[in-house]
Parts: sequence; C-alpha cells; structure tokens
Amino acid sequence: MQKREYLTAIFGGIAVIGASAALFRAQPVVAQTQGSAAVFTSDGKLQIPTGFRRWVFVGAPLTPNGLNDGKANFPEFHNVYIQAQNVEAYMKTGEFPEGTVIVKELTRLLNPTFPDGSRFEPSGRGFFNGAFNGIDLTVKDSKRFAKTNGWGFFTFGHHPLPYEKTAAEAPATVCANCHMANVAKTDMTWIQFYPLLLDRTAETRWDTPQSR
Amino acid sequence: MRVIWKALIAGAFVITAVAISQTNSGSGPVFTKDGDLVLPTGFREWVFMGGPITPNSLNNGEAPFPEFHDVYIERENLLYYQHHGNFPDGTVLVKELVLAQKGKYPDGSLDSASGRGYFPSELHGIDVMVKDSKRFANTNKWGFFTFGHHAPPYSPSAKVMPAAQCASCHIAGVAKTDMVWVQYYPLLHANLQ
Repeated sequence: MQKREYLTAIFGGIAVIGASAALFRAQPVVAQTQGSAAVFTSDGKLQIPTGFRRWVFVGAPLTPNGLNDGKANFPEFHNVYIQAQNVEAYMKTGEFPEGTVIVKELTRLLNPTFPDGSRFEPSGRGFFNGAFNGIDLTVKDSKRFAKTNGWGFFTFGHHPLPYEKTAAEAPATVCANCHMANVAKTDMTWIQFYPLLLDRTAETRWDTPQSR
Repeated sequence: MRVIWKALIAGAFVITAVAISQTNSGSGPVFTKDGDLVLPTGFREWVFMGGPITPNSLNNGEAPFPEFHDVYIERENLLYYQHHGNFPDGTVLVKELVLAQKGKYPDGSLDSASGRGYFPSELHGIDVMVKDSKRFANTNKWGFFTFGHHAPPYSPSAKVMPAAQCASCHIAGVAKTDMVWVQYYPLLHANLQ
C-alpha cells in the first residue's frame, strides 16, 4: 500500500512538472513577449538591458571612422542582438512582436595601421574588433512610441565601458526619422543587413545551419 | 503524507535530471564512428564573440576568408576562459562566414544610411575548431574542420583538416593564447558576461 502510494506520488510529481513544462512550451509567441526585455523607470527612461550578449546575434555592419571622415555615426562595428523568441516570431509573421528589443553594441576597430582603419593580420588585411564602444537600442511599443512608427530609440553612450544605466528616448531627428525614411516597410529594421532574417520562405530554420 | 511529499520531490528530481541531460546532449563536439566531426547545430544561440572582416578587395582578390568571420562560443566555455585563461577540453568554436554586400568603391565598401562601410549579405560557409588534448595532440590540442566555404547547404560532417591548412597558422600565431586569436574578441579580455 505504501509502495503504491509512493509510486502514485512519483508519477504525480512527474505529471505536475511535465504539465507545467508543456504549458510553458505551448505558450503562444505573443504571451512570451509579455516578458519584454524593456524595463522603464517611473519617469519613462529605459533601463539598460542585461544578458543581451546571450541573445541571437543577427549581423554586424561595419562603418569605420577612417571611411567616414573620422565621424562615423556608429563607430565602428555594429553588433546586433535580438532575443530568440522575437527572431522566431519575425520569421513566422514578418513583424516583430510588441516588446521586442533590438540591441546594437558597438566595438571600435583593433589598432588601425592604414588610413581606412584596416590592419594586416595573418588572415589578411582587414578590420578586426577592438574595444566595446557603446550601446544603442530600439524597443517596439506601438502605444508608447506611436509617433515614431511603433518603435522608440535609445542610446546608452558611444564610448568605452561602462555605459549609462538608463536612457531617455532619443528625439525622432536623431534616430527614428532615418529608420522611417528607409525601412518603414520592414518594421523599422535594416533587415537587408541580417542574413538570418532574410529568408523567410525557404524550408530552413534560422537557428540551424542548412546541411545536405 | 510525508511519503507522498518525498515521492513528489523525487519525481521532480527525476524530471530535472532528464531535462538537464537533454540540454547537455547538444553541447560539445560529436564525432562519427570514423572520427569525422558532425556539423554543430544551434550555435546561432551561442555567444557571439566578434566578426573580423578581411575583404577580397584589400587582399588582391585572394583573401583566405573574404567575408565577415562571425565567431561563436558556448557560454560556459567563455566563462571558463575568463577564469582560467584557457579553454576546457570539448570546447567548440564556430566561425560562420558571411559575404559582404557588393561594394561600390575599389576597397569593397559601399555607402549606406549609416555611413560608408561593409555590410553583411549572405551566409557563406562554416569552419570549426575543437579542443581535445588527446585526439588532436599533434596540433597543439585543437582540431580544425571546414564544412564548406560556399553558400548553404553545408556538409553534414567533416574530416579533420591537414595541419598545413589551419593548425600551423594558429600554432605560429596564437599558440600562447590556446590557439585562439583572443585579441580580436573583446569579450575574452573583459570580465563580462
């Protein structure tokens, strides 16, 4: 009798955990994004997100200071990160869910030796990542940022670590206008620079390399 | 009643143990019975360390890797390196190559809204290195593999490359930093997570 009780309880335990795991996995994408990485202070500033280096890296455009009269808007590599569930949702729907945060972390170039910012390394002449140099990010919130096409833009500094802990929304003229002018049709995101996000029709998955 | 609680907790432990073992099954290198390396999957959810670019146009049209070299590492191996200054056996580093968009200038760059520079376009190959002190003792503990230097699809498995192709350059250049070009990866020289 006691043994049976014991077994019943073990299976009960398994069932409870299993059910909660199943519930967790079965949550629709929209519900998952309720846990947005965007956290605002009481005065409407955005807190710097943590853990984004564990998000999905989607691409890193490079605009060296050396090719931009020493004044690149974003010096110099732009490493862009998006949470996996938001990449997943984008691949399904072509839009990012409410609450999506896209982080752009900048790094400088490693010790340039040519005027364009490049240097020789054993792999050839090119551009190599140097020190971290700042964070910009954008948050999708259709109500809060209705005036700028549903996205708010923030910068936590263009300089070496440490970054600012909070940031007020950047004026539309600084960020949003350029996104609205160029990429309003692709949910305000420069999809064309992020190969993982480009192919939404192929029978491939963004998280798995396609093999023969 | 106490028995039931114990059993419930035991049940929870069973599930947790199963879940953990399943999570770890995707970690570390997988070899076929012939010793070929199986193409790692899931690395796009690992930690991105950096993405140098050596354009063909700056290398007389013959760059060994004429693309962005996006390098990924699993988080636990990154943390291990930050603490110990070397990588544990079983570490896998994936370098996914991504072509730059067609340039407008002789140096391969083009103008974009954010300025003149280089911008990723298409996935274009995967190279991998694996640390295994015994299996790759002859090449300073690391084995090197390529799954294709072209658009997907990639090879599902790959044989270890001859030392002359990959390992010898790493041995000559970065033997002291565990065969990895740590100078290109800011996460490896900052104590960051």
